[in-house]
Amino acid sequence: MLAGRVASRTKALVATERLLEIFGLLARHTHATPARGSLCSVAAEFTKFDGANIALFPESKQLTALCSSNAASQSLLELEITLGEGPTTDACESDNVVCVTRLGGEGETRWLSYAPLAMANGATSVYAFPITIGAARLGALTLFRWESGELSEEQEADAYLMASVVARAILDLQAGAPRGSIATQLEREAHFSFTVHQAAGMVAVQGSLSVSDALVALRAHSFATNQGLSELAARVVTRRIRYEARDGVWYEVYRSSE
Amino acid sequence: MARESILVDTLVELADNLVDNFDVIDVLNLLCERCVEALDVDAAGVMLSSPTGELQFIASSSESMRVLELFQIQADEGPCVDCASTGQPVVSESLTAPDERWPRFTPRAIAQGFHSVHSLPMRLRGRTIGALNLFRVETGVIADEGAHMAQGLADVATITILQHRSALDATTLNAQLSHALNSRIIIEQAKGMVAQTLNCDMDHAFAQLRKFARDHNQGITLVASMVVGREITVSSLVNPATEGPAS
Repeated sequence: MLAGRVASRTKALVATERLLEIFGLLARHTHATPARGSLCSVAAEFTKFDGANIALFPESKQLTALCSSNAASQSLLELEITLGEGPTTDACESDNVVCVTRLGGEGETRWLSYAPLAMANGATSVYAFPITIGAARLGALTLFRWESGELSEEQEADAYLMASVVARAILDLQAGAPRGSIATQLEREAHFSFTVHQAAGMVAVQGSLSVSDALVALRAHSFATNQGLSELAARVVTRRIRYEARDGVWYEVYRSSE
Repeated sequence: MARESILVDTLVELADNLVDNFDVIDVLNLLCERCVEALDVDAAGVMLSSPTGELQFIASSSESMRVLELFQIQADEGPCVDCASTGQPVVSESLTAPDERWPRFTPRAIAQGFHSVHSLPMRLRGRTIGALNLFRVETGVIADEGAHMAQGLADVATITILQHRSALDATTLNAQLSHALNSRIIIEQAKGMVAQTLNCDMDHAFAQLRKFARDHNQGITLVASMVVGREITVSSLVNPATEGPAS
């Protein structure tokens, strides 16, 4: 009986201390790089991983990047969005933690398209934690290692705690926003990029396609030419590339002057 | 970012889901002990406002009567009382009697060997529920860094007490976020369509959508979804008189 009370007191103390560390890191990161947003960089540092992504999974099931701790992680999330498969997607859809100690390892057959490309991008281990509060499912926190590594019990507990803080941070940032709008505070913290959607609108008109078909065309072209989806979208939006209707071909547009 | 409310919800969930037989008083006692270990103070305690407004002693860093008395005597006056009623930190660098502010509290504190006090509000969303009090034998104030950490600890103490945010709130907020994100995506897609058709930039495209929405007293998301769904052509967006559905 006493042992149980001591154990739960110890757990409470440990968890409290880990939480205080998260908030210390949040304070420090917010001051250091205010433009970047702190949630992802804190997540990576706190959990001691090489990269962290936070993605939202709204009702429409369009996986949307919230933030990434570095460019490599950002590419990996874009890759998932392009291919429509991967650890973040699985964690969001199944509401279960996804653990891959070694991508492409023995017996590892998930994500036939994503896995080899993720490995080519440097990822070896990936762990994706659903971001939830009660029944509310927000998205997932995905953690990467460039070298293979198991997830220790402490690291797993830390990742759960971080996901829990992220969940509340997101909803807290959103609370108080006018109905139908993303909160300004959340936009500041996140790195939403809607260029892909702007590009889809343009391609839809260029190719006489529905917007959803235009999104598919963008993803397919991104995959075929091995360029990042947002990179391709930026080129569409700045009119350096366009989609021709008659033969379904992507045309590079060269400008004679700048 | 609103650290307080993040802390609140996280630790409350912690309490509910991760720790068996969670005892609020235990955790508050531990926090008071941590204040004494981590900060340059000699005693710490938590007092909370009852529903009728009086402050009640809840937890402290030590069971000694010397410490307990510091809190028990603050029924009507004292740094705790001032702090809880104003919601602002209350500091006395050097307790000296007689004290006009706290005529009964100050001489008793000095008699117990304490010569400075720092009282931090326990607040959430504008409500002050009590105070975390720190006493020192020496005079002087806690350094800034220590004060920040102490406020952090006060925040943690706050959350262990407040009630669990209902699951419904989180579900509702998440649904609102989901909806807001979807609306935004549709608007961006419509901007792209307008920008391509009119050969203009995204800002101009957005201005067209907004103008149409205002002129027709419709929400911009609705207008955007009609553009995306090709229920309105871009040309009728710009020149409503020429074609498209009657407004």
